[in-house]
Amino acid sequence: MTHAQGSMAADARPGLGEPLLTVRDLVVRFRTHDAVVYAVNGVTFDVAGGETVGLVGESGCGKSVTNLAIMRLLAKPAGRIEGGSVVFDGQDMVKLPESEVREIRGRDVAMIFQDPMTSLNPVLTIEEQLTETLRAHKQVTKEEARARAIELLSLVGIPKPETRLKSFPHQFSGGMRQRVMIAMALALEPRLLIADEPTTALDVTIQAQVLELIRDLTQRLGTAVILITHDLGVVAGMTQRINVMYAGFIVEAGLTTDIFANPSHPYTVGLLHSIPRIDGKDEPLIPIEGAPPNQRVAPVGCPFAPRCQWRVERCDTENPGLQSVDASSVTVLTGAAATHRIACFNPPTHEEAIAGRPLREQGNPA
Amino acid sequence: MTITTPISGSAAATAARADGTPLLEVEDLAVWFPITEGIVFEKHVGDVRAVDGVSFSVRRGETLGLVGESGCGKSTTGRAIVRLYKPTRGAIRFDGTDMAGLEGAALRKMRSRMQMVFQDPYASLDPRMNVAGIVAEPMDIHGVGTSAERRERVKELLTTVGLDPNYAIRYPHEFSGGQRQRIGVARALALQPDLIVADEPVSALDVSIQAQIINLLERLQGSFGLTYVFIAHDLSVVRHVSDRIAVMYLGRIVELASSEELHRRPVHPYTVALLSAIPIPDPVREVNRRRIILQGDVPSPVNPPSGCHFHTRCWLRERLGNPERCVAETPVTREIATGHEVACHFAEDVDGSREQRQSTGQGALSTAAAPPAPGSYAPAASSAGSSAAPAGPDSAVPAAPPAPGA
Repeated sequence: MTHAQGSMAADARPGLGEPLLTVRDLVVRFRTHDAVVYAVNGVTFDVAGGETVGLVGESGCGKSVTNLAIMRLLAKPAGRIEGGSVVFDGQDMVKLPESEVREIRGRDVAMIFQDPMTSLNPVLTIEEQLTETLRAHKQVTKEEARARAIELLSLVGIPKPETRLKSFPHQFSGGMRQRVMIAMALALEPRLLIADEPTTALDVTIQAQVLELIRDLTQRLGTAVILITHDLGVVAGMTQRINVMYAGFIVEAGLTTDIFANPSHPYTVGLLHSIPRIDGKDEPLIPIEGAPPNQRVAPVGCPFAPRCQWRVERCDTENPGLQSVDASSVTVLTGAAATHRIACFNPPTHEEAIAGRPLREQGNPA
Repeated sequence: MTITTPISGSAAATAARADGTPLLEVEDLAVWFPITEGIVFEKHVGDVRAVDGVSFSVRRGETLGLVGESGCGKSTTGRAIVRLYKPTRGAIRFDGTDMAGLEGAALRKMRSRMQMVFQDPYASLDPRMNVAGIVAEPMDIHGVGTSAERRERVKELLTTVGLDPNYAIRYPHEFSGGQRQRIGVARALALQPDLIVADEPVSALDVSIQAQIINLLERLQGSFGLTYVFIAHDLSVVRHVSDRIAVMYLGRIVELASSEELHRRPVHPYTVALLSAIPIPDPVREVNRRRIILQGDVPSPVNPPSGCHFHTRCWLRERLGNPERCVAETPVTREIATGHEVACHFAEDVDGSREQRQSTGQGALSTAAAPPAPGSYAPAASSAGSSAAPAGPDSAVPAAPPAPGA
């Protein structure tokens, strides 16, 4: 039995500072023969070295597509980056030729996916898959690669790594497969790890194991992490900053502590009131009525307006864009002093955020 | 047979809720699935002991939560209750009748009083039937009403679950996940059942939609006096909807208590570990929380560990110096407090422990009386060092209203 402590504070992490990844006005669309899907509609955020940043939202909000676009892994030919830039370590990933992107992938940026069964090759042994990554990027002999693979498996807590190397993915449990995925992702000590719902398919006690492993290893290696999840509990314990996404837009961004202490976008407020909690008193849930918008229609106005209790007239026609909550002029995108920003014309007050509904006359569309 | 009661909130429903008699009694239920070898001559080589001796009762109008991780037997228990599986041993008494031995027409008749809502709203609706057909099917099977009456009833049911009755002619693919789950609930209500077994009814849904369905189920229980067996892996959801909760591990119930008692005072080491593993959506609490990380995976139900099934992963056993009793002797279910059952030899050692307190974030709560810092922008680090974590109203927006005097 081990006891794990919650995430370390933002400013206590090494290598923090310069942005490692700069995403500006990223636009991603999927064009099929009869429709256009407006998946990501101008997303801007930074990730500094060593930081853990959460991308939170529900199915279809564009959180996964954003990261596939960063990695240039969008399904072709339908998925296209139609605007903006993704600068990783000084290079614009959008403009780089495929061969160079391939170099960066795996070596500098690695990814862990939700379902470890479908992201591991079922007909290759763990050894073949682990050493493939190593040998593709580094000049190592087969023996060196094997030694490193054993080292990696023991690093992620797989017992008897020498014998387990010969196993196939189906011989592992879900949690163990996810450990193998983590070993593969961290094989080359990347500077950025993108973890897309890494624990969603796992049981809660196994989730705790895997999250602790990710936190522990990335802290030790100084790896920056983008954690994509729908689970507000997971981001609360794992991240220093959060971007809340809805229908392809970032609607709230800031320090994790700020957003949970002072949720300021109606969608974030709604999410927090939609989940029952095991701590404290059991409160009635206040669901967000309706459903997310059809993303085959070009977005007009605020995407959340049709479901929003705080909607005002201009929400239907104008997109508010991200603004700092306290109207300060300087916007900090990374680190412990990151500005708390929301995209909202009529944000809930603190009392309204606690109540989960508008308490003022003018804020209520009814 | 005709439809007699129209759908509406009724006084009978409220009366049923107050009644304390058990609607469902499960006694020593076991469901084993045989493992066979050979193609021509099937040889019985073992059993998957999915459920292995489970006893509980559900009172009329009550919600019993069944919670546990994959493979703990919670879904199998649920399915055995409605007799989708035949029990290997044990009794399932529904309203006084033992379901375990029923067959044919008698079973079918009892089944109309119990319905299921399934997890996957995509797989549990026939894609070739329209909504009217899906919702009316239970009535067709049980020969309830004329076809005109059924049509009317479908419209009523759709309205009840919050769907436009004009959607009756549409097909499942035209609906979102949340709407499909509403259709599944309407179908379950069609025969006016007494008991609904809901197997992970919200797990496949997005957070904002989950809350809609949970509230719908709660509202329906209030209006129709329904009794629920609510099966889920998510303890926070189960706590929210249940009056009492049974925690399962590897085919057995390890702890059973009222929802509040289980969260305030979990006494089985597995329950404590399970609670501590649930992430709390509050960074300030998360940073001060110590979780119990269970080592390894759940053992196979084909060959479960001897004695207490949990002994291979138990943190308490390790602390007590690995007593032999856990391996040798199956713990009997005993009452540690009124209505609070536990199957652990050493439950008293859990009670009052630091692990118990911290599992639900109460460790950080002990200093909640400390003055909160409204609108505090302090990073988590400032509170991480001190034990007096400011768990003030700001950090617990959905959970607690501001303390008086704050």
